[in-house]
Amino acid sequence: MPKPGSSPESIDNSPDKGRISRRVLLGTGWCGFLLSIVGPALANIRFLFPNVVYEGPTLLKVGRPEDYASGTITFLDEQRLFIMRDPEGLRALSAICTHLRCTTGPFMPPTAEWKEDHSRCPCHGSIFAKDGRVLQGPAPRPLEFYRVSLAPDGRLVVDTAAVVDKGDVLKV
Amino acid sequence: MMTDGRTSGIIHRVTGSRLWKSVFRHGYPATDLDRMSAMFTNFFLHLLPAKVHPNSLRLTYTWALGMVTFYLMVIQFVTGFLLMFFYIPVTDLAYHNMKDLQFAVSFGLLLRNMHRWAAHGMVALVFLHMGRVFYTASYRPPREFNWTMGVLLWLVTLFLSFTGYLLPWDQLAFWAITVGTSIAGYPPWIGETIRTLMLGGHQVGQGALLRFYVLHVAILPAMLCLLVAIHFWRVRKDGGLSRPEGPSPKSTAIPVAGGRFVPGPQKTYTLMEVVRGTSPMVGAQRPEDEVPAWPHLLFRLIVLFQVVLGVVVLLAIVFDAPLEELANPTHPPNPAKAPWYFLGLQELVSYSALVGGVVIPGLLVLGLMGIPYIDRAREGEGIWFTSALGKRIAAWSFVGTIPYTMGLLFLNARFGVRRFAPEAPQGVVDLLNPATLLLAAIVAFSVIVGWRTGSRRMAAIALFSAFVSAYVLLMIIGTCFRGPNWDWALPWL
Ligand code: FES
Repeated sequence: MPKPGSSPESIDNSPDKGRISRRVLLGTGWCGFLLSIVGPALANIRFLFPNVVYEGPTLLKVGRPEDYASGTITFLDEQRLFIMRDPEGLRALSAICTHLRCTTGPFMPPTAEWKEDHSRCPCHGSIFAKDGRVLQGPAPRPLEFYRVSLAPDGRLVVDTAAVVDKGDVLKV
Repeated sequence: MMTDGRTSGIIHRVTGSRLWKSVFRHGYPATDLDRMSAMFTNFFLHLLPAKVHPNSLRLTYTWALGMVTFYLMVIQFVTGFLLMFFYIPVTDLAYHNMKDLQFAVSFGLLLRNMHRWAAHGMVALVFLHMGRVFYTASYRPPREFNWTMGVLLWLVTLFLSFTGYLLPWDQLAFWAITVGTSIAGYPPWIGETIRTLMLGGHQVGQGALLRFYVLHVAILPAMLCLLVAIHFWRVRKDGGLSRPEGPSPKSTAIPVAGGRFVPGPQKTYTLMEVVRGTSPMVGAQRPEDEVPAWPHLLFRLIVLFQVVLGVVVLLAIVFDAPLEELANPTHPPNPAKAPWYFLGLQELVSYSALVGGVVIPGLLVLGLMGIPYIDRAREGEGIWFTSALGKRIAAWSFVGTIPYTMGLLFLNARFGVRRFAPEAPQGVVDLLNPATLLLAAIVAFSVIVGWRTGSRRMAAIALFSAFVSAYVLLMIIGTCFRGPNWDWALPWL
């Protein structure tokens, strides 16, 4: 509803020229009010995300290549890892179930139902093959392989932050 | 006994003193009118109305479920405050604090057990209370919003339980945090952020324990208090508890002490003259149908509290709250099971984390909150199942869900997607699994019921009953028929 004195022309010519209109003033006020609420709220949310965490390392030392005989799968439960060695070399397979992060169990020999070596997760029944494939259950993705490398001191290092393809082998 | 003049003289001097009168403004109310004004002028009693409708007092109508839940909450607050004196939320200490409570602190075990049992009671009774309110259509206007508040209270109760059983830092706690926060990580885009927020980092450890502790003892209880306050305030403002329309059947009316209600000389209508229109408080109240809350409601509530407290103490004496082994981050127990009320959820999650853990619970909460806004009819308030038809639909939904659900689980075990198409993309598994098929069937069933009966109320009854039935069934399956590696197992083997 146009009110007297509120149209642009009349403001330009009136003695009020240069003064802020009521609408602008209120708008600024509301914006300021909203900012004063939203700003601190965002700051508080940001506050809840730590900048420094004191968590375990992602680089794990897992012994020497000689510790793992060819054709074996070793379950390192502390590290939640499988170290596999075959003629091609060494691989590190995560034992953290891709469903909801329980630790999946050690590999068991084939049975009548599961025709290959398999590992079962105790939480919701996912079953994984040696190459990480999901054989059964709710796990959405295969188990992950991590990069294995040789430290200068001759020890094996698994980088749990570096997920690699299942073909990536450390030849030793 | 000394009932002579000296005693009554002392009593007189005490109750006549300025100190006494500064605390208790009035003497013991002897007449109904005084009692009503006592309800009105006392801070604690003010929560209750001065007069109540006898229909709201009928035990078989409300089963006092809301009030019992409230009492359990009070017990939780008191026992919880006490337990805080002996609990330190540090991963190296928490478990040993539990052992101390068990063996070294006087009444420590009793308090922990009471806290545990009252928590289980709350979870069960909040839900039963919701069921009562739903089946008596008590969410009818003007109570729609209070139903929504109730759904939020249910969620807060579940979160309180969840954060509570994480604190002992035993195996149950550790793996529940692991699984719970991983579920929170499933929603696309924001999932990982939420998970980091809950854990205070990326691994389950000290950060997570502290966060869940703060949630459990400060944030969630504060939310609970606020919501309960709003909930009760709305009950009062919406005209008390729901009840069948019309005056009270005289047969069930409780005789008013001193005969019929006569408006007393002090009765004023100040507020009512200010409040215009037919707000429920003004319009629907017929004071002559009601009885004074003191003693009819008040004394019932006092006795009820005694009974609730007695039952909790008794349970706490007889059954100890379990404590599993110390948290072991390398090995989950096998099987790793959630507490009973989450086992249905665990069963759903075991088909698809996204559907069972995020989609279905999310839809369920939204659907529950939306019930009063979807079913906008006015009929049926205060009547169990609304009609004979409603009763039949509820019964059919309850029973019919069972073979369907069992069939689905059986088919999945024999012919699950992965069995025939091991390489099938996860999207297919998320789409074709018992959780999704159950959801789809229940929704379809409810739509058909609504269409055939032309009543959204009947559709709501079908939906609610089928969901409750399916969830209870899944809970039983999770509890009794799941063994190591979440394989099917028989409880007696
Ligand atoms: S966490 Fe492994 S199956 Fe759920």
